[in-house]
Amino acid sequence: MLKMTHLSKVYRTEVVETYALRDFNIDVKEGEFVAVTGPSGSGKTTFLTIAGLLETFTGGEYMLDGVDVSGLNDNARSKIRNEKIGFIFQAFNLIPDLNVFDNVEVPLRYRGMKAAERKQRIMDALERVGLASRLKHYPAELSGGQQQRVAIARALAGSPRLLLADEPTGNLDTQMARGVMELLEDIHREGATIVMVTHDPELAARAQRNVHIIDGQEVDIAEEPRFQAEQAASSHG
Amino acid sequence: MDIAPIFASLHKHRTPVALIVLEIALACAVFCNAVFIIGQRVAELGMSNAIAESHLVVISVNGSNPDTARADIPRNLAALRGIPGVTGAAVMTSIPFGQSAGVDGVSTGPDSQVHPGASRYMLGEGGPRVLGLRLLKGRFFGPGEYADSTLRGGMMPNGHVVIITQSLAQRLWPSGHALGQQLWVGSEKHYAVIGVTADVARPGSSSIGRGSAHYAVFFPLAPDPAFTQYVVRSAPQNRQRVLHAAEAKLHTLAPNMVIKGQTFAQIRDQAFTATRSMAWVLVLVCLVMLTVTAFGIVGLSSFWVRQRRRQIGIRRAIGATRANILRYFQTENFLIVSLGIALGMVLSWGVNLYLMKHYELPRLPWHYLPVGALTLWLIGQLAALGPALHASRVPPVVATRSV
Ligand SMILES: Nc1ncnc2c1ncn2[C@@H]1O[C@H](COP(=O)(O)OP(=O)(O)OP(=O)(O)O)[C@@H](O)[C@H]1O
Ligand SMILES: [Mg+2]
Repeated sequence: MLKMTHLSKVYRTEVVETYALRDFNIDVKEGEFVAVTGPSGSGKTTFLTIAGLLETFTGGEYMLDGVDVSGLNDNARSKIRNEKIGFIFQAFNLIPDLNVFDNVEVPLRYRGMKAAERKQRIMDALERVGLASRLKHYPAELSGGQQQRVAIARALAGSPRLLLADEPTGNLDTQMARGVMELLEDIHREGATIVMVTHDPELAARAQRNVHIIDGQEVDIAEEPRFQAEQAASSHG
Repeated sequence: MDIAPIFASLHKHRTPVALIVLEIALACAVFCNAVFIIGQRVAELGMSNAIAESHLVVISVNGSNPDTARADIPRNLAALRGIPGVTGAAVMTSIPFGQSAGVDGVSTGPDSQVHPGASRYMLGEGGPRVLGLRLLKGRFFGPGEYADSTLRGGMMPNGHVVIITQSLAQRLWPSGHALGQQLWVGSEKHYAVIGVTADVARPGSSSIGRGSAHYAVFFPLAPDPAFTQYVVRSAPQNRQRVLHAAEAKLHTLAPNMVIKGQTFAQIRDQAFTATRSMAWVLVLVCLVMLTVTAFGIVGLSSFWVRQRRRQIGIRRAIGATRANILRYFQTENFLIVSLGIALGMVLSWGVNLYLMKHYELPRLPWHYLPVGALTLWLIGQLAALGPALHASRVPPVVATRSV
């Protein structure tokens, strides 16, 4: 589903070049639930933004669903983001001017879907996340957990094959985090591929597979002596 | 583009939206009315005046000796006619667009309820032909009618015939039988209408643009000190030369008089100075108004794009193309401008009502409204384009990076 080989990402500023990813390799199979962990600044978000076609990369190769994405233009990338990928962000990223219903509708409108189908999908998705009764609420009128569930509904409504989540529970308390995690597990059981970045070892442990990133490179947990220390540091920091 | 969510979003920012809508409405109202008035002024510049304008020069002569004036006039005219290229010369008390020799309330009888003001033109013999008056009905004055008509102490000629303009004839005798009727001036004097001419403009510029702009009465008059205008006719290409020669000739004949010559074109030009500057001022007002509005839109749009940078990134992240973002902001602008135009139409109408009441302006024809609307839509779209392009270049990664 998602395969990166020797991928690198360099951020160039006037003074420095930062290798956010360096010779990075990952292969996520269709239907997998992968948790990505690693210390702060190690390149997790960078990996996710490249995986989600939000950013381009500097070197290497990235095949998404069998397609080499490096040759795609901006419109094609937008279309893939819209149709194949669902995003869940740490900061929820709802549009504050729009109510719950309208927020979930945004990606469907970009898909040019008919109003009746949009409505059906929006209601189904909100039903899934247990917020069907809050259609007219604005993001500011919802709790953090509810906002994140709206964001999940927005990602779900388009029936994406790949769900990318960047610390989806990072802004939530334990109880709400658990609810969100259960939701993701449900979605995974129904066949979606999920890649989730998390700092929480407990959540990471619930994924099928863990990928650990240190300094922009994927490391094998078993062979990495620093792992225990990193993990402990990041979960406290 | 789907407008419902854009409306929803605008609704959340009512105050700035309301302000810019008001600005657009005001611009729309001012623009529609200003364009209308400019159009009217421009039309006035082409105001008809059925005399041979391009053939005429006018020498105004002031300070003549009243005792010798009657004898001087034939002498002066003979001298002017002797100038090479001159095809005619005559005297008048006043000329179209020039200084007025008086306005009279005229009517069809002492009991008539209709007595419009009409300008008084008194002509010396040969005047109609020199001016090039176009007779529509009846006849010009005969030599006896000039000789019979004198001022003799009064303001009004004591002759018995007049020629009137078509507009005035129409106003007084709408059924069209002016010829042979008596034209009353005040409640005592009356004259037989012996001719109707095509419309000749009144002296001065105060009647320009009004329905009464061509209300004029021509009286024949024997040589009289009241004659101050020598009208000299020549082919258009000889005008300048004839003008200088005529001035020089009159100067030698009457060294004590104040002599001032102008081509008729100059006289007309001066009469429309105010009209022209009014039109230019309004053009300037429109430009300033539209520029201010455009900058208002640019400012607000830029501000909103900056404010919604993250939201744009989110939209991009969940599938919006650059074109979608561009269209979003252009559509938003279209909606705001449309609201402004809707309000502006009502306001235009109000402004027009006010102007109609206080400045004798006609009703604003409806077609000025779509002209105003199109102009503002265009300005709005152009003004929003920069910020919208800026928005379309917000990268999707903004959704994950900025907080
Ligand atoms: N736009 C950018 N310009 C320059 N450097 C960047 C940019 N974005 C990220 N980086 C750098 O790339 C590296 C990886 O950043 P990234 O955000 O991927 O880390 P992360 O693993 O997600 O960290 P965290 O756990 O704190 O979210 C960091 O050193 C960061 O400073
Ligand atoms: Mg991160």
